[in-house]
Amino acid sequence: MKKVIISLIMMFGIISSTSFAGTLVINTDTSDAAPKKAFEYIIKKFEEENPDVTVKWNVFDHEGYKQSIRNFLNTDPPDVANWYAGNRMLPFVRAGLFEDVSDIWKDSGWVDGNLSENMEHAKKSMTIGGKQWGIPYTYYQWGVYYRKDLFTANGISVPKTWDDFVAACATLKAAGITPITIGSKYLWTTAGVFDYLNLRTNGYEFHMDLTLGKVPYTDPKVQAVFDKWDELVKPGYFLENHAALSWQEALTPMVNGEAAMYVMGNFAVAPLKEAGLRDSNLGFFQFPEITPGIPMAEEAPTDTVHIPSKAKNKTDAKRFLIFMSRADVQEEINKILGQLPINKNSSVKKGDPFLKAGLNMLNNAYAMAQFYDRDAPAQMASEGMKGFQEYMSNPDRRQKILERLEKVRQKVYK
Amino acid sequence: MFPTPIHQRPIVNQYIYKIFLPISLIIWLIPIFGILMTSIRGLGDITAGNMWGTPSEFLLFSNLYDVFTNTPMIKYTLNSFKVTIPTMLGAVALSCMTGFALANYKFKTNLIIFFIFIAGNFVPFQILMIPVRDLTFKIGLYNTITGLVLFHVAFQTGFCTLFMRNFIKALPQELIEAARMDGASEFRIFWKIILPLTRPAIAALCVLIFTFIWNDYFWATVLIQGDHAMPITAGLKSLNGQWITAYHLLSTGSIVAAIPPVIMFFLMQKHFIAGLTLGATKG
Repeated sequence: MKKVIISLIMMFGIISSTSFAGTLVINTDTSDAAPKKAFEYIIKKFEEENPDVTVKWNVFDHEGYKQSIRNFLNTDPPDVANWYAGNRMLPFVRAGLFEDVSDIWKDSGWVDGNLSENMEHAKKSMTIGGKQWGIPYTYYQWGVYYRKDLFTANGISVPKTWDDFVAACATLKAAGITPITIGSKYLWTTAGVFDYLNLRTNGYEFHMDLTLGKVPYTDPKVQAVFDKWDELVKPGYFLENHAALSWQEALTPMVNGEAAMYVMGNFAVAPLKEAGLRDSNLGFFQFPEITPGIPMAEEAPTDTVHIPSKAKNKTDAKRFLIFMSRADVQEEINKILGQLPINKNSSVKKGDPFLKAGLNMLNNAYAMAQFYDRDAPAQMASEGMKGFQEYMSNPDRRQKILERLEKVRQKVYK
Repeated sequence: MFPTPIHQRPIVNQYIYKIFLPISLIIWLIPIFGILMTSIRGLGDITAGNMWGTPSEFLLFSNLYDVFTNTPMIKYTLNSFKVTIPTMLGAVALSCMTGFALANYKFKTNLIIFFIFIAGNFVPFQILMIPVRDLTFKIGLYNTITGLVLFHVAFQTGFCTLFMRNFIKALPQELIEAARMDGASEFRIFWKIILPLTRPAIAALCVLIFTFIWNDYFWATVLIQGDHAMPITAGLKSLNGQWITAYHLLSTGSIVAAIPPVIMFFLMQKHFIAGLTLGATKG
């Protein structure tokens, strides 16, 4: 018996000694090629700068991670885990699984000076209950991508207001060009349009209240969003049979000059350019203003790093988070990702007008929405997007759809 | 003889046959032709909507290069072999023995056991998905090649047993009796008489199982999570970018993935067709 106890003690000794200070465990969902490469790079750089720290890095499958993180935050927490900003991190913050990192945001002694200042525009999406729960390291912009040549040929200038935008659509339609292309087969593209209409009609705070389930879908303010949407859907300004196309297939009319605009994320630029469009005929503009005076919030899905509250090595984890917030580090990560750094002191790849436009727009944004399916809980998001797609195909069913969404809301946010 | 050979049919039917055979063949092959065409295109062509026209660039080699360098495709292919070959050997070996026992020995539960083997074939995969995942998880075989192989062996043995049992049953009983008279042990009968005689059936089964398992996508995605054990069919999805479906790379990858079973089929074609009809006449 004694022997057993001794060997048990020895075993525990061995187990606990493997997690000595200086080992930093990082879990990420970066299974896709570019994000994987980006993390390979920064982990190597971090180890070079901090020779006393050894990083143990676990890459999870992108989809599987959504499930795994729930398990490992409780049972086998790493020291750092990546995740997403906004309401996506809310359940973990509420359950006390993420560490409050407000001190990193407050302290002005870091290499780059005051973090709160350099990342002020992203602070709202990292804040819950007045505290910050992680560090954002990459995002990308959404907006309207358009064919410059089609605009010029029809005498349209970049629309700044909703009236200009609708007028531009009318002109294009009259010229036999589909004003806005969209492929709604996989639903999510419709949410991009909804988000922007809501952000511009009612503002960021209302949009957050809606996605947090605090406002009914039958609210007059939501009706107002659909009134605006009607102005585009009813005259047929969106691509016909959009429900049969994926977002990627809906690029084709734009490449062929049959459609002029696309409300999309910046990842659309690469395939459009590969298909032959150039900076000379492809452009980007901010989604136009609808209700005057409402501060312009943007759609910018943000990837973040967090410290689990049960992490063993919080000291080095904080060093890693500070490292990830640095302008030079964010610049390098985002060069690999082809996305945008959050730190205002970072710059982007020269000669890419789309990244430059996005950087300017987001650096001056009032706040960042994370996209409907990240801001709303999964079940609500999936029903909501189904509803948006149905509405876009049959705008007359709007009232029924909104009533159905309201029922879902009452069930989901109980 | 059924079906009646075409040259014995009325002359009109023969003409209809001659006209429609090539047409239906072409219709069947259009998707494969489409994949071949897509595999030599770039993504630009696809985005521009040029799906069936002349490719603007010939990119087969650069696509092949991307398939093998962007993703662990070589590892996936190796994994596929590591899953397929042990499964093939295991299922065929087991079913030779079960088939021999069920065909030759009269015991009370013989038919019941046989029916259980057959019944396994009628259980849809989807019903088994969650229990099998839980089972492998509890045994600690989840996310391992061994787990996938063991499951495939267990599941394929049902069909293989049906096949082998019927084949062995059709062999002349006198051969076995003669061997018994000469004092051969049961194992010796199995090894020296039955196995050599069932060679065409074994060859056919091997081809069948090889193709089945190689082409399996469902269980690979259910039981495997990481790159370390992912077979090529499920690994193909990693060719997609974070945002973009890379149709051109997927097509090229699919062709690469389809090559081994096709080679196997043509090498063993004779056995394959002979074997399919072999056990069929007598049940």
